[in-house]
Amino acid sequence: MAAKKVMADKHAQASVPDKLQQAGGLKPGAARAVHEASGIAEADVYGVGSFFHLLAEPGVKVRVCTGLSCLLKGSAELLKQAEAAGLPVRACSCLAACDRAPAVLRDRSVLPDVTTEDLARAKGDWTKLASAAGKGPDWRGAIGPAKDDPERLAMNLAGAPDFSCAAFAKAKNLGAEKVIAEIEASGLQGRGGAGFPAAFKWKSVRGQKEATRYVVLNADEGEPGTFKDREVLLRRPDKVVEGLAIAALTIGAHEVYCYLRGEFDGPWRALEGAVAEAGKKNLFPGISFHLHAGQGAYICGEETALLEALEGKRGMPRLRPPYPTEFGLWGKPTLIHNVETISCVPAIVAKGGGWFKALGKSEPGTKLYCVSGHVKQPGVYELPLGSTLDDLAAAAGGYAGTLKAFSPGGASSGFLPASERTRPLAYKALAEVGSMLGSAGVVVLNDTVNVAWAAREQLVFFENESCGQCAPCRIGTRFQRVSVDHHFDRAKAGASGDDLKLVAEVAWEMNEGSICGLGQAASLPLTSALKYFPKDFEAKGARP
Amino acid sequence: MIQQAHIMLNSKPAACRDGETVLQVAQREGVFIPTLCHDPRLKPAGACRTCLVEVEGQRRLLPACATPAAAGMVVKTDNDRVKRHVKGLLALYLADHPKDRASETGAPDQLLDLAERFGAPTDWPAMPNVRAARPGDANPYVHFQPEKCIACARCTRYCAEVESVHAITLANRGSLTTIFTADGRGLMDTTCELCGGCIDTCPTGAMTEKKPFLTKAKPERQLEKVRTTCNYCGVGCQMDLNVDHSANEGRGKVVKVTSPPPGTTTNDGNLCVKGRFAYDFLEHRDRLTMPLVRGDDGKFHETTWEAALQAAARGLLKIKTEHGSDALGFISSSRCTMEENYLVQKLSRSIFKTNNVHQCAAT
Ligand SMILES: Cc1cc2nc3c(=O)[nH]c(=O)nc-3n(C[C@H](O)[C@H](O)[C@H](O)COP(=O)(O)O)c2cc1C
Ligand code: SF4
Ligand code: FES
Ligand code: FES
Repeated sequence: MAAKKVMADKHAQASVPDKLQQAGGLKPGAARAVHEASGIAEADVYGVGSFFHLLAEPGVKVRVCTGLSCLLKGSAELLKQAEAAGLPVRACSCLAACDRAPAVLRDRSVLPDVTTEDLARAKGDWTKLASAAGKGPDWRGAIGPAKDDPERLAMNLAGAPDFSCAAFAKAKNLGAEKVIAEIEASGLQGRGGAGFPAAFKWKSVRGQKEATRYVVLNADEGEPGTFKDREVLLRRPDKVVEGLAIAALTIGAHEVYCYLRGEFDGPWRALEGAVAEAGKKNLFPGISFHLHAGQGAYICGEETALLEALEGKRGMPRLRPPYPTEFGLWGKPTLIHNVETISCVPAIVAKGGGWFKALGKSEPGTKLYCVSGHVKQPGVYELPLGSTLDDLAAAAGGYAGTLKAFSPGGASSGFLPASERTRPLAYKALAEVGSMLGSAGVVVLNDTVNVAWAAREQLVFFENESCGQCAPCRIGTRFQRVSVDHHFDRAKAGASGDDLKLVAEVAWEMNEGSICGLGQAASLPLTSALKYFPKDFEAKGARP
Repeated sequence: MIQQAHIMLNSKPAACRDGETVLQVAQREGVFIPTLCHDPRLKPAGACRTCLVEVEGQRRLLPACATPAAAGMVVKTDNDRVKRHVKGLLALYLADHPKDRASETGAPDQLLDLAERFGAPTDWPAMPNVRAARPGDANPYVHFQPEKCIACARCTRYCAEVESVHAITLANRGSLTTIFTADGRGLMDTTCELCGGCIDTCPTGAMTEKKPFLTKAKPERQLEKVRTTCNYCGVGCQMDLNVDHSANEGRGKVVKVTSPPPGTTTNDGNLCVKGRFAYDFLEHRDRLTMPLVRGDDGKFHETTWEAALQAAARGLLKIKTEHGSDALGFISSSRCTMEENYLVQKLSRSIFKTNNVHQCAAT
């Protein structure tokens, strides 16, 4: 009896974000209605709703991305135009469409390449807003290599979806130990940001005493400059589902939870389709898939915040240890992987760990690099891990203008100067210069960009997206942004001051004191810009 | 079997018991670790980050309040790294908090205390408050000052974990994080029972007693605490009357009631709405301060306890003699303790020989 009640409570709590979404967001009375339907305390429902911006602002129907790549393509002007047109509009963080910038969210659909003409055509009616270049809801981005090449590409985005499930069948024959041995031999590192060896997590979950385990897919892709998981879900959902099934089989899980960011309408349909296909053919007996929509919060890409959000709570990261491998979803051992990581698994199982490892340059495997900003053909390019910025730019049609700086792995990786263009874009090589490969969301800036300005925009992102539970991050992100603003205000007025004198100490404290990677890394755009581009801070009221 | 497990705490061995946290060991050893979000009644949140310590073999500093003390652990609470962290952290807090002691209108502000104790810089540029309040909350007892809130969530966790009331919640995100109710309603329109535990647990005085706040009473530091037992019910909660001796032309005044620190009395720092807030009767002109007996003139007259009890005994005995035992009935008050209730039934059954005895809470 008691056990049953706990189950009921757990599912009631988990249903809160969905129920709030069905109620049209956190309108007055919505928390009460969801409380009555779920039994979860009204204030707690409100606390959850107010955390997620897609729920917290029910009146906002249009969101213009003010991520760096979109700003470079004029999204600030788009936002002004939308406001002037009387649209219910707000700015928002990166929409994982940086290759098709500027991106705009209409309700829950991302519109790519939005122009001022598109906005004008809507005539102030948000329901009429559409992207002429986007060509409907199932738009995709550019990829490379554009040719099917399963022998040299682990992801092989150009390949046709394949539901033969040969890898799953092979994994079944091999048995868990041998599958993990192949993963270990492949040297596969987590592609979500941390680069943690995948095999280590598989072994850890498999070795837990607790028999109930879960597999969780992290498809919350929100790191500014990153949009590879979107393309994987759109083009190779077969690999995602098969990878998840192999993981579940290997670690002894029967339930797979997929957490997709709420703005991923196209990727959601693609994954849902693949899951349905697998279900229809009963490809993975005994394994069930659950799709769960995010509600707008970058921090829920952090794995423990994601678990909280899956449980229907405010997405505040947990303390570690214990790690999710031991204490994960509903306290059970949980294997969490990024979309790209898990999608590498079928090829590794099919062709062997050694094959995968040999694909890489400085580190194992091929890697999906996202590139946006000042290159001719922004998109997702699968290259050997350890390729350089020059390699990537070459794949992307070359630089647009003269390279000045780049961000190698999302906002959290800070900025590097052009002189690092031949450094391998890989976990170790970038850590050596105090940066990181992160999610491999590469943003290229040419010499028209003031890097101090770019850093300031990244600070705004972190300030907006901090979950707010720990002071170093909650206060520090704001403090750093305010310091830069004061500095520029003063510079504009022709005065000088020492507004930036505390930046280094605050950055140190944010790194030491913050609970999770957001606060720990949030100063990097600023400190790296100060380090490599001090002159850009002298410019008066710098703008691109 | 007794296990003598130890950790090394600042290079000295310190015994640790199963299930203890590093903070608990340090507190027993008299090693001060600053805390803000910690309350022994609550599950550790590890959120305020003031208690971070260095643990050998761990790359990151760990929260002492949430880290189990494992045998052999080597912990440093006072090396340069930890000290630098505490100073930097407190300086950041201060940049987002009133720094002036004049802002300390109610309970002592532990953030200011810690900043002083650790010599945290106070000159980091201040940022204006961005946390929302709940305007128009007409409840009579609890007042929230968002500018003083450090989002440690002790109040919301107390409300959920200790009281199971869930009236308040952390709301919004990032620097906008604040303490809120559903739809921002007044506490009277929520599940709130006005126990005031949120005030008790708040480390900065952001949650504060409304009446002393509105009447600009002296801050708690300037009041004398007088320990007493709540007489509203039989539980016997300990409470502290906070007395301003100079008020009322020197006659003194109870400015507010606070609960003794958790872990020191049986009520563990908890009080209910009556104990914490219903103390106005202390100064009410109708309050009986002497026993009264009705005289032949039909009016009440002040008298001694001795005389009053005798008058009562005479009356009871008279009824018994004239009308028999069962003409009497005894009802005791729910304010009575178990022992007092026992004595009332004893009085009823063996002295007055009647089973007509009841207790008002027994319904
Ligand atoms: C602030 C923050 C945001 C993150 N966002 C994402 C994300 O959007 N997608 C993702 O896969 N991992 C993200 N991560 C990394 C996850 O915490 C975690 O490392 C990852 O899901 C593990 O999977 P992997 O081993 O396959 O990379 C984020 C981490 C942090 C600290
Ligand atoms: S570092 Fe920032 S995002 Fe992470 S837990 Fe702390 S406040 Fe939340
Ligand atoms: S979609 Fe706008 S910056 Fe990524
Ligand atoms: S007291 Fe330990 S983190 Fe707040």
